[in-house]
Amino acid sequence: MPGFRDWFRVPEKFKTLLILPVQIVMNFTAIIPFALVWYIGMTNWSPQFVGGDWWRADFIGPYNFVLAVRDELFLNAIARTLLISAICVPTEFLLGFTLAYVLSGNFVGKRFFTLVAVVPMMVVPAAGGWIFYLMFIETGPVNGLLSIISGHKVMIPFMNDPFWAMIAIMLADIWQWTPFIFLIMTAALLGLPPEPINAAYVLGATKWYTFRRVVLPMLKRPIMIAVILRAIESLKIFDYPYMMTRGGPGYATQTITMNLYESGFKYLKYGLTNAQCLIIFIACIIVAWYAVKPLRAAQRGG
Amino acid sequence: MDKHIESMIYTAVRYIFAIGVMFFSLFPLYWMFSMSLKPPIEWTSPDIHWWPWYPTVSNYLMLFFDKYTLIEWGVVKPWEVTVPETAVKAITNSLILSISGTVLSVFIGTLAAYAMSRYRAGGDYMFLTFRMLPPIAILMPIVMWLSTLGLLDTHIGVVLLYGLFPVPFVIWLMRSFFDDLPREIDEAAIMDGCTPAATFVKVILPLVRGGLAVTALFIFILNWSDLIVALLVTYRRAVTIPVQIGLYYSDIGHLYGIMSALGIFAIIPTLIFGLAIQKYLVRGLTFGAIKG
Repeated sequence: MPGFRDWFRVPEKFKTLLILPVQIVMNFTAIIPFALVWYIGMTNWSPQFVGGDWWRADFIGPYNFVLAVRDELFLNAIARTLLISAICVPTEFLLGFTLAYVLSGNFVGKRFFTLVAVVPMMVVPAAGGWIFYLMFIETGPVNGLLSIISGHKVMIPFMNDPFWAMIAIMLADIWQWTPFIFLIMTAALLGLPPEPINAAYVLGATKWYTFRRVVLPMLKRPIMIAVILRAIESLKIFDYPYMMTRGGPGYATQTITMNLYESGFKYLKYGLTNAQCLIIFIACIIVAWYAVKPLRAAQRGG
Repeated sequence: MDKHIESMIYTAVRYIFAIGVMFFSLFPLYWMFSMSLKPPIEWTSPDIHWWPWYPTVSNYLMLFFDKYTLIEWGVVKPWEVTVPETAVKAITNSLILSISGTVLSVFIGTLAAYAMSRYRAGGDYMFLTFRMLPPIAILMPIVMWLSTLGLLDTHIGVVLLYGLFPVPFVIWLMRSFFDDLPREIDEAAIMDGCTPAATFVKVILPLVRGGLAVTALFIFILNWSDLIVALLVTYRRAVTIPVQIGLYYSDIGHLYGIMSALGIFAIIPTLIFGLAIQKYLVRGLTFGAIKG
């Protein structure tokens, strides 16, 4: 059958064949769900309705979108997630970059310390959340350390306090993802050409001046990529609040994902949640579109 | 200042930093490990036990054997804490689902990556954008879609998602490996009379074996670490290890030692594989933008 064989012989047809599976995949995971999220967002469907298939739900127009932007929990969750990002990403960047810079020279045990510094990133995030829960319980090592320092018996229930629970979640995020910045910046520092740096030293520049005026400009692109990727990932934060506080106490540590999970799968408000998902979806597409640009430049350039 | 003293200070700062980092990255892990060796009486003892005073492996045994077996063996007393359900199902599920999902996504993604690298097929940045969306926004309708197909809480449903979600990573990672190969290889093969398909299967694929292995391990780590997908589309039959840790948390109070033992199980493969492909992690995580 010559027609069949052509698929493997003619380059144009072979290309179509190669792309085919991924297109089926895209239809399954992106196009159909995207259509579905629009549709359900416009209905008041909920799995609680006995015998109510979703394709027979009541159409209520954009009412859910009005409800969505007036939903205080949802808005608070967005603000809280942005706050977590705004605190965690710069902290991770400063720590990771400093660490990469300090460990970039040659010294005894460099390989070992580099390996150890990367370990937290390899921990399954759910397990990471559980680890930090253990660290911050009343009888955990954080309280143990405070007891030793202060000389009194300290038993602070960190997870029951809205402020400290947030701090604990941020610490878990920082612990786990500082290595991410560290890895990228280590790779970037390794790839730097040594000549300009040596030239600066020869010309009598100090270490700090060389760093600021020679090294930093050359690292602009990796820094941007590291921060952007980390910032986007940190908006998805879910595993730590889920494992550590379940969004509590009250709603004090509910992030966007946690909020959507609860209103969708605990309170079964499908219409509203889908409308909120769509809002997040569109907001993230806009953000991601701009975020992809420096990546694109780097991939084209190097 | 004297050059010698300056370099000594620099070395000292470096070691202080390195040792501090070692402490901060390893202590939390040590704490979970020590908790996994503690008997129930030590789990939340008011006087903090920095190491297990009465170390035991019963937490690990409880992951694999049910209460009656353990009582028969004399490992636990009838009145002691046990789990209602062993984690055997979760561990086997995690293995089966992560591996099959990895195979599926590497297969789909490698084909597309080759087309994008050699035949200038477009859409690559669309996948990148897709990967940046928060999974929950896509999962909500996917759960309904799966339930309509009757695939909720089945292995097939989870494998499909584990095969689809990491595809953008596969495409970008494999693409960077294909781009590293000179085009002349393809051209030479075509000149020698290979069809495009034969060039791909017989010439190019053997050359990127290493890259395929790295990609597969990377995707395995992603799938193995996943919590949210499994949490939303499984309830009982197809639960994975991260979900199971959460299940112990909610239903029966806190089984600190047992959850920690399961946590150790969760992190062993990612730790081993992650350190094995450490050189390529940067490339994977930055979608090939920075080659580590």
